[in-house]
Amino acid sequence: MNLRRYNIYFNTHTISGIIICAILYVIFFAGSFSFFKNEINAWQKNESDKGGAYRNLVFDHLLDSIGQIKELKGRDIAFYMQHNGHASYVNIGASQDTIVANKAKAIAAQKELAEKTRLAATNKGTAVKDANAKDEKKKKRGRGRRGNEDSMYFSYDLATKKPSDYSDGYTMGEFLYRLHFLAPLNQIGINIGRPFGYTLAGLVSFIFLFALISGLMLHWDKIKSNFFVFRPGNKWKTVWTDMHTALGVIGFPYQFMYALTGIVLIVNSVLIIPFSKYLYDGKEDEVYAALGYNDNTKYTYLYEPLSTTFKMGDFLDKLESKWPNSHMNRIFIKNYGDKSMHVVALYDADIDKNFAGSGRMVYRVADNKILFEKSAAENGTYLDYVKGFIYRLHLADFGGYPIKIIYFVLGIMGCFVIISGILIWLVARDKNNIPKHKRIFNFWAANVFMAACLTMFPVTAASFIAVKLASKVDQSFIFHVYFYSWLALGVFYIIRRNIGKTNQETLLLGSVLSLAVPIVNGIKTGSWIWVTYRSGANDILLVDLLWLSLGIIGLLIFKKMLQAAKKEGGNVKQATANRTNNDIKKTLPPRRAFALKSNPSTEV
Amino acid sequence: MPANKKYLSHPFQRFLKLTAGFFGGYFVMLYLHLCLTKMFDKTDILITTYVTGFIVWAILLLVAFLSKNGWLIWGIYLLLIALFYGIFLYL
Repeated sequence: MNLRRYNIYFNTHTISGIIICAILYVIFFAGSFSFFKNEINAWQKNESDKGGAYRNLVFDHLLDSIGQIKELKGRDIAFYMQHNGHASYVNIGASQDTIVANKAKAIAAQKELAEKTRLAATNKGTAVKDANAKDEKKKKRGRGRRGNEDSMYFSYDLATKKPSDYSDGYTMGEFLYRLHFLAPLNQIGINIGRPFGYTLAGLVSFIFLFALISGLMLHWDKIKSNFFVFRPGNKWKTVWTDMHTALGVIGFPYQFMYALTGIVLIVNSVLIIPFSKYLYDGKEDEVYAALGYNDNTKYTYLYEPLSTTFKMGDFLDKLESKWPNSHMNRIFIKNYGDKSMHVVALYDADIDKNFAGSGRMVYRVADNKILFEKSAAENGTYLDYVKGFIYRLHLADFGGYPIKIIYFVLGIMGCFVIISGILIWLVARDKNNIPKHKRIFNFWAANVFMAACLTMFPVTAASFIAVKLASKVDQSFIFHVYFYSWLALGVFYIIRRNIGKTNQETLLLGSVLSLAVPIVNGIKTGSWIWVTYRSGANDILLVDLLWLSLGIIGLLIFKKMLQAAKKEGGNVKQATANRTNNDIKKTLPPRRAFALKSNPSTEV
Repeated sequence: MPANKKYLSHPFQRFLKLTAGFFGGYFVMLYLHLCLTKMFDKTDILITTYVTGFIVWAILLLVAFLSKNGWLIWGIYLLLIALFYGIFLYL
């Protein structure tokens, strides 16, 4: 290979990698756990999610009970189904009807609305919450949500008929899911005009994509010859290099897919904004509508009350018998109760029938007429396929638990690639011809990165235990437990300045805590592994088994590490005596530690 | 071993290449895809850009680092931007 190019690939790969390593590790680690977000939610609440069957009639009940709190006339109402298939976000917009809107405004001005909502809600037992406060927190999608006081936004479980309160219902699953796109960083007060955490996550994934491409080019000539090369008995640097390249090459398609879909999902605005400016007259809403996320068609408000009655349940029943093998994604009701009332239903094909089908129906209530109909069973358009490709691949929701487990293992493998990358970077620069101040800085950086990354394992396990033991778990509880323990443990290992010990001890601590997770769960709730196995609570069982296997694998590795350390104790001492900075790296982690750690990952 | 310094450029040159690749590369990618909307459906192109856009951008960033001269790559990217933008506007 051209030497100049090789060195440029090398340099750009190294620099881009070392800049993002710590954040990328957090993304990979937390992201791997977020595959099991719903399972972790069920585990934490100790309520197995049995699929939550509901009948479409429930929508009519919901609309009735909202109607008692708020005049629904002239409003746009949207239902966004959640991933578990039986809960929905509900958005109720301001009324088109000026009379209703003015009345609402007057009420809002008197600040009675919130009180009324709460009263009515508790009286009726269908506590539809005032959503304004939640709207702030819940702004995951952050798209064109109107800042109107008269609107409502909440989450509603269709099976249990309960609205779920966001902050109280906060779980470790939600926490890790949101941590994996750095949502907590949005709150630290760095103002760049866009959510800071999301922007950083997007930038990191872009640099990750760049590092992947340059890494592939760097390794291109040796892909075939080095594909199966693994030399665990050799020097430290070759162990880490082999691990980095072997796992990196095997995991490349997966990591590349994640870098790409990750950028798209978190910072698609870098494309949406210019595209909307040049092609959609600057209307971002229209772009999202064109992409099929939204329906922002405006129907002229007629100020004529609807003469026919509309039963949403019946409508959906009919629709679903027409379109079997598909499920609701979004429903938009426009101009409720007016002659111009329309219903737009967006349906997705069931994943085992069609990878990317999406159905759309537009229905005019006044004359009972279907204006547009495209079934999800029909062949998807190009748009559907690309969208399906991006979402399915990223969310891993297309093949049940086997796919999710493979994804989890590949994700943890990504963590090993990152760790070994940091170590190569450090070891390659730990030479006599490198000036001392540079070596001190390099060690300092690697030490901080390793401390921050490796402590995530015990901290996550400890938080799972903490949420089981605490009497009340909400968002701030999880934040405090997770971030403070992470900070404390991280600082401890940074001060300790011994990467080998950081590795060994976090592994031991993490494994012991992992093993404790199912035990604590069993003692506290009685949901022992065999109990959940027998009762078929697979989601709870899965989380317990996940931690159990992580603990067992971790302890096995730890045992091997101790054995190897004993065997090599003499060699290591001798080697370190020759070093000028032997205080920095007195005990290297035993040679085979990383080799073994990667084995269980690749065996799946 | 860290990369051999002999093959790497000076800090200012590197700065030029980085900015050319990151900013220039972004606009080259953007206008290239906007041009394609002249031929294909604009929503289809947008969703395609979701996939190809970031890859093209990352490659353009890498190409900028491979170039011999930071000024040259800035020039090339500016020319490409002008070309694609011209096609997009006047075709």
